[in-house]
Amino acid sequence: MKLKEIDRTAIQAWSPAQHHPIYLATGTSAQQLDATFSTSASLEMFELDLSDPSLDMKSCATFSSSHRYHKLIWGPHRMASDSSLSGVLIAGGENGNVILYEPAKIIAGDSEVIIAQKDKHTGPVRALDVNIFQTNLVASGANESEIYIWDLNNFATPMTPGAKTQPLEDISCISWNKQVQHILASASPSGRATVWDLRKNEPIIKVSDHSNRMHCSGLAWHPDVATQMVLASEDDKLPVIQMWDLRFASSPFRVLENHTRGVLTIAWSMADSELLLSCGKDAKIVCSNPNTGEVLYELPTNTQWCFDVQWCPRNPAVLSAASFDGRISIYSIMGGSTEGLRQKQVDKLSSSFGNLDPFGTGQPLPPLQLPQQTTPQSSVLPLKKPPKWIRRPVGASFSFGGKLVTFENTKSQQQQGAEQPPHHHVYVSQVVTEKEFLSRSNQLQEAVQSEGFVSYCQKKMDVAQTDFEKNVWAFLKVNFEEDSRVKYLELLGYRKDDLGKKITSALNKESLADDKQEEAPKEYDQSVQNDSEDSHATEEQFLGESTKENKQETEDLTSAKETFNIFVNGDVDGLITQALLTGNFESAVNLCLHDNRMADAIILAIAGGQELLSKTQKKYFAKMQSKITRLITAVVTKNWKEIVQSCDLQNWREALAAVLTYARPDEFAALCDLLGTRLENEGDSLLQTQACLCYICAGNVEKLVSCWTKAQDASSPLSLQDLIEKVVILRKAVHLTQAVDPNAVGALLAEKMSQYANLLAAQGSIAAALAFLPANTSQINIVQLRDRLCQAHGELPVGPEAPKSPYERRSMPKGRVGPAAGQMPLPQVPAQQYYQQGDNPPPPGFIMPSQQSPSPGYNMYSQIGALSTYPQTYQPTQQYSFGTGGPALYQPQQPAVPPASTSYPNPSPNPPYMPSACPHSMPSPLYPAQPQPSPTSLNPGASFPLPSTGASFQHGRPGAPATSATYALPTGPTGTLPATSELPASQRTENQLTQDQASVLQGPQNGWNDPPALNRVAKKKKMPDNFMPPVPITSPIMNPLTDPQSQMQQPPTSAPPAAQAAFQPSHLPLGQPVLQNPFQPIQQPLGQSIMPPAVSKPSTEGAPGAPIGNTMQLVQSLPTEKITKKPIPDEHLILKTTFEALIQRCLLSATDPQTKRKLDDANKRLEFLYDRLREQTLSPTIINGLHSIAKSIETRNYTEGLNIHTHIVSTSNFSETSAFMPVLKVVLTQANKLGV
Amino acid sequence: MVSVINTVDTSHEDMIHDAQMDYYGTRLATCSSDRSVKIFDVRNGGQILIADLRGHEGPVWQVAWAHPMYGNILASCSYDRKVIIWKEENGTWEKTYEYTGHDSSVNSVCWAPHDYGLILACGSSDGAISLLGYTGDGQWEVKKISNAHTIGCNAVSWAPAVVPGSLIEQPSGQKPNYIKRFASGGCDNLVKIWKEEDGQWKEEQKLEAHSDWVRDVAWAPSIGLPTSTMASCSQDGRVFIWTCDDASGNSWSPKLLHKFNDVVWHVSWSITANILAVSGGDNKVTLWKESVDGLWVCISDVNKGQGAVSAITEGQQNEQ
Repeated sequence: MKLKEIDRTAIQAWSPAQHHPIYLATGTSAQQLDATFSTSASLEMFELDLSDPSLDMKSCATFSSSHRYHKLIWGPHRMASDSSLSGVLIAGGENGNVILYEPAKIIAGDSEVIIAQKDKHTGPVRALDVNIFQTNLVASGANESEIYIWDLNNFATPMTPGAKTQPLEDISCISWNKQVQHILASASPSGRATVWDLRKNEPIIKVSDHSNRMHCSGLAWHPDVATQMVLASEDDKLPVIQMWDLRFASSPFRVLENHTRGVLTIAWSMADSELLLSCGKDAKIVCSNPNTGEVLYELPTNTQWCFDVQWCPRNPAVLSAASFDGRISIYSIMGGSTEGLRQKQVDKLSSSFGNLDPFGTGQPLPPLQLPQQTTPQSSVLPLKKPPKWIRRPVGASFSFGGKLVTFENTKSQQQQGAEQPPHHHVYVSQVVTEKEFLSRSNQLQEAVQSEGFVSYCQKKMDVAQTDFEKNVWAFLKVNFEEDSRVKYLELLGYRKDDLGKKITSALNKESLADDKQEEAPKEYDQSVQNDSEDSHATEEQFLGESTKENKQETEDLTSAKETFNIFVNGDVDGLITQALLTGNFESAVNLCLHDNRMADAIILAIAGGQELLSKTQKKYFAKMQSKITRLITAVVTKNWKEIVQSCDLQNWREALAAVLTYARPDEFAALCDLLGTRLENEGDSLLQTQACLCYICAGNVEKLVSCWTKAQDASSPLSLQDLIEKVVILRKAVHLTQAVDPNAVGALLAEKMSQYANLLAAQGSIAAALAFLPANTSQINIVQLRDRLCQAHGELPVGPEAPKSPYERRSMPKGRVGPAAGQMPLPQVPAQQYYQQGDNPPPPGFIMPSQQSPSPGYNMYSQIGALSTYPQTYQPTQQYSFGTGGPALYQPQQPAVPPASTSYPNPSPNPPYMPSACPHSMPSPLYPAQPQPSPTSLNPGASFPLPSTGASFQHGRPGAPATSATYALPTGPTGTLPATSELPASQRTENQLTQDQASVLQGPQNGWNDPPALNRVAKKKKMPDNFMPPVPITSPIMNPLTDPQSQMQQPPTSAPPAAQAAFQPSHLPLGQPVLQNPFQPIQQPLGQSIMPPAVSKPSTEGAPGAPIGNTMQLVQSLPTEKITKKPIPDEHLILKTTFEALIQRCLLSATDPQTKRKLDDANKRLEFLYDRLREQTLSPTIINGLHSIAKSIETRNYTEGLNIHTHIVSTSNFSETSAFMPVLKVVLTQANKLGV
Repeated sequence: MVSVINTVDTSHEDMIHDAQMDYYGTRLATCSSDRSVKIFDVRNGGQILIADLRGHEGPVWQVAWAHPMYGNILASCSYDRKVIIWKEENGTWEKTYEYTGHDSSVNSVCWAPHDYGLILACGSSDGAISLLGYTGDGQWEVKKISNAHTIGCNAVSWAPAVVPGSLIEQPSGQKPNYIKRFASGGCDNLVKIWKEEDGQWKEEQKLEAHSDWVRDVAWAPSIGLPTSTMASCSQDGRVFIWTCDDASGNSWSPKLLHKFNDVVWHVSWSITANILAVSGGDNKVTLWKESVDGLWVCISDVNKGQGAVSAITEGQQNEQ
């Protein structure tokens, strides 16, 4: 194909291969005249700009020369990589001169372009060649057998290769050997060629055809073989190219006869020794393989002869040809379209009409329409044989899983007896670049698998390089230890034992001082407020009765026995007294507060009831402004949120400590979270890292990830590893302590995990990647990655010999055009119907969940258009695989039975993964086919809305996408109903198959399909703390079921029995309540202590001031206490028996129902009394009084009893006795009345 | 470490020109000057010849696997000016489409990201690039960029479908309005970027850095970063890494990875886009990785599939 044209009658020389850009130098040819008979001469430089599509060659410079040229060559001598030095252009002139030009200067337009010139030759210099080994050596040939060797470094005195050949003749060609630098060949029109050895300085061989009809017009050495050369003959009678081998130089060993008339010139490609150009007087330019004689290519030329042809050294596909019609053409031998050429012709024709724009419209004339040329002419075919330079010999390509596919073709010389055909091997290699990353990942996996979390964390602590890192691991480790909160506190610097010691010592020191001081206030009181002592005593009596543990009790007891006066003066004391006497505690408290008598106020408020107390506390706190007030406030009011929200962030440690100590489990995580969020938002990078600790305490994986990512750059594999280690461990911890779906993964975490999996995969750890990839996300990229990993893993449990395995089926069902009818359509892409010709259900070729499906559908790559045709019944079943969302749909059938637990002991937690690729992912159809080991297992018919005939499952319609491999089994028109008993015989095999798969599923496969939290949870710590970030795909109903779900995914070895137990029918009546407490189903079967539902609100939790050691233990023990009431102390048991006996007697003798009702009621209400007795919260005076009453009852002296009763009531705190004393009075009165 | 896990004796009778694994890395397709294309199952270190595809009448230069969502499809291109799309039907591989619209050797084939459908870009020595798009019913629509690279296009490589940097913000299920782009390299020493606008392919960028034929271009897979990255290699021995930070895709800047002493034939990115495999004319395969300070470092010399990997200092990995 022609690329460019230059309208010159000139000889040409390409710039050397090293030169960039490519130039073509032209020099006016010595033996031609154009139509103007001009004898001027010039050197011109053209740039080959292939990015310019036009045929014009850009002329860069013209230098008017006084010489016309026979030969022009461009040598690389003195070339620099930049364009400042561009080699040497050597011209052979008609007057025997050899001229050296500097091309860079010509291009620059310089007038001084000649480096040197010598006219040593006696005649026109027709032959020139540059030694390719020593580029400063140039050979020239002229008339009279003159050959000179020029050294460009020492141009003055040329050498001769030896004595002139005889007879004297013109040297038409000269050529340096391409393999041996001191060998030179010359040829003359007489047909003789001489080979010179410059070391010997003499001709060593003469090559001559005996026919003597050769007229040598061309001579060329073989580019690769040192001893071979070609000679071309100009003689029309012998238009041949002879191939000679000097090892046998008596006759040519091959003769190429591709021209019908004399060959004018030849050029052998240095880039490919199988390409020899020749042009002849038959106006043909032929490219042939001189090694075989085969014509590879014939250039499309016009009828003019070409007298010069040159390969472009730099661009091996390009050649130039100068023809006698005054034109130099640049061709490509790679073929192509000649549209460009035709366009030029069109332009020329147009321009021949003179004016492109004759009407001055600014628009050129519409292009002429040339008659359409026939196709073979408009496009030019390339060489028959591909040139060497486009044959890629080597390659290395990465593929999935860090594999590198390489091949290399060792250079084997075909000619030199290929005794042994080269082996063409392709190597598949594993590239591992992140060794440390991998080994750490392995450690992590081992830890997860062996559950050696504590030791793992410890190891991590030991090797931690920063305090922070160490801290983080310490925090993580605590998660797996008992008394985690205490340990957290210790990590924060609050060691309980130490603190205890410190306090003790502090108290001891102070106690001495206290003893002294204690007197002082009293004296002060007495002296200043001398009338207050008695009221003080009065108060203390109240106190003594209300707070038994008050340390002032003993004092109270003594003082209570003292008599005192009651002052009712008008001063504050008096007012308080009056208020107290009227039972108006609130006023009394207000008075005290007003008088700044805080202690009094609080003490009074305690007596006045809970409401008053809390009011008083508030007022107190409002008034008091000491440093620790807020802490006290928080402790008393349990308002930790306040602390966490408003504490100075520098005190985050203290705030966290407080939360750790006091917060209820149900708010604990949220508080930690809150604190973490504050720290994180502060923008201080140090605080941000500390926020991570809070999130660890909170067990908030997602936030940890986001915070970590903010604080640390997690882009490199190792820093990602840093993060993932923590996350995985934390997830394990959270999984142990909290009721969360182990597979629930937030978006950011999923992102990180999949990044991690990608990295692992890239290092070839496919199995590990699968293990870490989040299991139940519907994020498309993760689902795709899972599919890819699964396939790449290669060790699918089904061998190739099992043609029915889903894997094999995947490949291609019979009689189908496409592997994925309905799967492959793309939105907006017309390729949609590509494979839809099939009538059958598509094979499960590429079926993945799609994010567009409301239920996580299966067709990963397809859009869901076709999915709607899909029977809805399947949707729920599929959702089993997702762990969440699905079971809810089963509620109508089996409300309280978490489905899937018994009949789905599939340990595979990777459901979203495509079913077809891997049997693990065939959850729903496997269902009924699973062995159902337990009598309590669900009846498949009852638990699934599966029709009992296959008819409704037909998938035979075209385009229906198979959502799972089983559905798509090409078993015939009937769909697959997977219940064994109902299967037609023809489908049994399939069912058998699914069973097989099921059994495979149950095998020990944990390695590769476990989710990050590897599910091997044997026990759970009790923490009814259900705080956790929302699970992405869940509906509200789902949360209660998350736990059964996790249960379901335990390995079958331990899980199935437990799971069955968990769902014993006996639990069914519990129904919804069970669902309120996600723990119940788990704890019981696992033999944990029974926790009543009420536990989740541990009322005891709040006991203020109690430095709870382990809240969790409290939570566990206290409820038990509540249910099984404590016994009444023995000494007081008599009260109960006496009162009850009395009521029984009264009931027996009572006649009217009203009385009986009263007595029954009294009997019940006395329970309050008994409770008080159990709790031992009654004051001794009351107790004594009650015993007196009991004695009087025994003596049936009811009147005395009533008297004692009155005394008790009048002397005791109303609030203390009101619950039962009136009832007792009723009983006594009745007994008295009835006379029992 | 680069360690051979499988040596596949292809039994090709002439030079191998390309070897590509499928999407999952379980099957290997090779092509050769012996005019054949072969497919091997190479799972678990095995090598089972699945297909020996005959149909080309010249050396086969490249093979390319389509995304598996379209089935098992392989494209091959040859010196015979043909592009053949092979497809597995009923377990056997057959020719499903043959494209003969080029006037010269077809040197490179590359499937578009699967998000766009089945589109194959083919670069030819006739200077043109063809885009074959499947329109259904066995029909392929051909768009042709004439004179994309004068005297020949040697390589084509698609840009990933993900708009750089959009990975995280991208709402799930909501595909952004992708702009189809691909890069090509040719005998005009240029790397060009082509962009589809209103269904027409237009030259978006013309990147000049090489001084000789561009032998290969490879657009790096997207890893969610806001930078587009390409590698190109050339006859001139140079390998350039091109990066473009702006979303409009207008400002590409080259960075010289290395200047080799021989032709560089092929560049290939790892899936995670952090390692570049460079195949040179001296039969050397080298692996390169960018260090934290942005320098490209050779981490391995691979010879016959074997090689050690030297760690590059990546600064303080574990700094807090």
